Amino acid sequence: MIRLGKKLGAWGAVLPLLGYCAIALGLPVWALLWEGLQRPDPVTQKTTFTLWNLTTSWHGIYLTGLLTSLRLSLLTSVISAVIGLFAAYAIAQSRGRYFKQAILTASGVLANFGGIPLAFCFIATIGTGGVFLSWIQNLWPSFQIDTFNGLAVVYPYFLVPLMVLTTLPALDGLRTQWKEASTNLGGSSWQYWRHIGGPLLLPAALGGFVLCFGSAFAAYATARALTSGTVPLVTMQISSILSGNVIAGAGENNLGMALALNTIIICALMMAVYLPLRKRSAKWLES
Amino acid sequence: MTTISEIEAPAAVGAAAPKRRFDLRKVRWWRVAVLGVLGVYFVVPLAASFWFTVYDSHTRTFSLSPYGQIFSAPGFGTSVRMTVEVALLTIVILYALLVPAMIAVHLRLPKLRPVLESLAMVPLVLSPVALVVGIQTVLGWGLNQNPGTPLFQLAVDLQNQNFPLILPIVYVLIALPFAYRSLEAGLRAVDLRTLVEASRGLGASWPVTIWRAVLPNLRTGLLSGAILTLALVFGEYTISSILQFLPFSVWIVQDGQGATSGQLAPAVSLLSLLLSWAVLFLVSFLGGRRAVGRTDRSSS
Amino acid sequence: MHRIAKLACAAVAVTLAASACSSSKTTTSGSSTNWSTVTSATAGGGMDALVAAAKAEGTLNVITLPRTWANYGKIMDDFTAKYGIKINDANPNGSSGDEINAIEHDKGLSSAPDVVDVGNSHALPNTNLFADYEVSSWSDIPTALKDANGSWYGDYGGYISIACDASKVAPAPCPKTFADLINPSYVADYKGKVAMSGDPTSANAAFSAVWAAALSQSGGSLDNIAPGISYFAKLKANGEYNATVDTESTIESGSTPLTVDWEFNNSQFASDLKAKGIDLTVSIPTDGLYSAYYDQAVSKYAPHPAAARLWEEYLYSTTGQNDFMGGYARPVEFAAMQSAGTLDATDEKNLPSVSGTVNYPTATQLTTAQNAITSGWASALG
Repeated sequence: MIRLGKKLGAWGAVLPLLGYCAIALGLPVWALLWEGLQRPDPVTQKTTFTLWNLTTSWHGIYLTGLLTSLRLSLLTSVISAVIGLFAAYAIAQSRGRYFKQAILTASGVLANFGGIPLAFCFIATIGTGGVFLSWIQNLWPSFQIDTFNGLAVVYPYFLVPLMVLTTLPALDGLRTQWKEASTNLGGSSWQYWRHIGGPLLLPAALGGFVLCFGSAFAAYATARALTSGTVPLVTMQISSILSGNVIAGAGENNLGMALALNTIIICALMMAVYLPLRKRSAKWLES
Repeated sequence: MTTISEIEAPAAVGAAAPKRRFDLRKVRWWRVAVLGVLGVYFVVPLAASFWFTVYDSHTRTFSLSPYGQIFSAPGFGTSVRMTVEVALLTIVILYALLVPAMIAVHLRLPKLRPVLESLAMVPLVLSPVALVVGIQTVLGWGLNQNPGTPLFQLAVDLQNQNFPLILPIVYVLIALPFAYRSLEAGLRAVDLRTLVEASRGLGASWPVTIWRAVLPNLRTGLLSGAILTLALVFGEYTISSILQFLPFSVWIVQDGQGATSGQLAPAVSLLSLLLSWAVLFLVSFLGGRRAVGRTDRSSS
Repeated sequence: MHRIAKLACAAVAVTLAASACSSSKTTTSGSSTNWSTVTSATAGGGMDALVAAAKAEGTLNVITLPRTWANYGKIMDDFTAKYGIKINDANPNGSSGDEINAIEHDKGLSSAPDVVDVGNSHALPNTNLFADYEVSSWSDIPTALKDANGSWYGDYGGYISIACDASKVAPAPCPKTFADLINPSYVADYKGKVAMSGDPTSANAAFSAVWAAALSQSGGSLDNIAPGISYFAKLKANGEYNATVDTESTIESGSTPLTVDWEFNNSQFASDLKAKGIDLTVSIPTDGLYSAYYDQAVSKYAPHPAAARLWEEYLYSTTGQNDFMGGYARPVEFAAMQSAGTLDATDEKNLPSVSGTVNYPTATQLTTAQNAITSGWASALG
């Protein structure tokens, strides 16, 4: 009876959050579904329910856009997650309190820095006529900023701070005393990481990676400013349709909504991959 | 946060000192290398942009004039104030919803964790343009009702120009993934069960337990989540501009409109970066002396 | 006072479940004409009645009008100075799509847009959102550039032009035509320097640039934009095409000294950069003449219908049209004003010379081209 009361109490604490998400997230998603599954007939202009928008979004340039987005997001999030993790570790090890605060807050700001201002910073640096372009081209002759590779170089600018931001608290929680204890007991660095540090860090690191992936996937303003649509990305396509100056006409908005539904499907797939991994990592912690 | 280290480590400190020094040296070089390379990566593009805004290559002069033009523009104060208000409200709603839920899940309902994780992911992957058009559609449904009905009025009030309630409502969703991660990391490092049992065992009620036992130990997580949210609200442009509100990020782009030179636009964005950083830096000290990274064990 | 009254009404409605407090959407206090259905100034009782009603409304909501675009900054300031009507410019960097979305979704809000300035692609399919209105100088607008029912009407436009910073492309000369741009002897000097106004699937100026290029190639026409895509693919293969979006900053920094953009954008850049010692020449390519006009329309659900109509009258007056020219755009009433001698001589001289006639794409041709660009752009240039 007491346990039931406790469980009910726990549910009471969770329900506001669930209810909020149901409404604040569910309503717009519902609107997307509602509009994305409709289409005005090109001839009669009558609106009917149809899967046409969705099926169109899985072919041709829209499919290419989806796949390119996935490729870019995976590549940049993996790179940024690894770099960010090392950076966060390096920062967590430092002594200066002001230094850490400065880095933490700078990361917060940089994680949200994007679009045309970020693009311009990089154009000024390694774009055509950029100061450092020749340096880069010594190492990487075919490099150009307005390509897939260019985006891969620019995206970490806001992804690495994001990773640092999400893993720094966890790394801070790793006590140096634990490392010392492990060393004293005869353990090597590798063993420390494998049995103590790693399992503690892995959930936060995985979570940070997932955040980076999502952030890279949803970005489009920077890509648009740098590549003008020559690298097809699904988010840019959505923006072109729903918030552009060229594509218009009855039924186009519905296609845009269907493209947005695709991003939700990607999200579901990502969760399907991530959740079992998380469970595994939690088990590792217990072992 | 405090209990585990106290149990495990006291004897180790003195004995490990010589080994620690050796490890520190190796670690220090490696740290310098990583932070050095990253420092270059992050600073150089900003510096290149800054150089462009102050150096005139034709007359070969320096001038900080693009920056002066920004502050004198009307609406600076209003937009900053509005943004801060929206951000604060977002943080309050966010934590009011998130903290009880996460504690409950950690303690009593572990099966719900995947649900929370999924919820915390969806807003992130959903493109902001799509989200805002979905919101516009929903608000439009409200406005399609007859004037005078509560739904109509709700849709109107949510979009009040002086304080648009719809913005915090949306921003809570967008900040949810980040706040969740920060809190999650914080919760992992605390032995929540012991803390709560100890506190409840001593006779404290739930609110007191949370307020005086749990939250102080979550300070890092709470603060980094709040900082992230603040930064996010300051930097968010797409949603607020499409919904036609004028927070700082939209105002600053609008202000760069009066540009009579190509230097103003990047100057404006650099300045907004700097200002946001300054605000965040100051705010982060509000969290108290133990904000980030102290390894002392005393509880507040 | 009005807002508090509305909130109180809502509370009463909730508790009594009655809709006794319906408030009116428009603020035409004291006026007996319902201006939201008036189709011309004379029909509403004359210009004086219109001005009085607009002043009574006191506010005008415009949307996505950048101050530096076609001199809108000056036009808005002058309008407010003349009539005392405050102008709210929402989402100034927004798109035509945002404007249509705002009309559709903001019905009933006092911040809903009163008037819009959209590209032709967005005006043609959305006439059901616009209120018919014919300005006093209606007959001065060419027939091809307005809707027969008065639902939308061109206001200003221009040709696609090529701007060039000679110092950055030397020793090659500045290109004057699309053929020059792709001339093999100049490729090395133009490498990485040719830019447009962004993504042709999303930016009207870029879309038009591709179409203009198509017209310069054999097989290209208003029915066929594909040669334009191939043209830019060739530019990219030559290494000349720089996919970054051209802005005043990128021209000034030397990153994009060759820009293919609307003449009013290029000329505005040129005039701004002159103070920096950068000499940007703007020419209209004779081999690819493409012109388009942006369209004005009054929203059917305008919260300030009289102010909206007064704004239109202002834009189409001699002052308004000359102001557009001051922003290097071609006013739609150019021909009529030329015959009447009311064109501002200085502004007229600032427009680049153009010879030849153009046709404007129909709705079907627009849709075909949009589809071709959407499916072809990324694959041809990626």
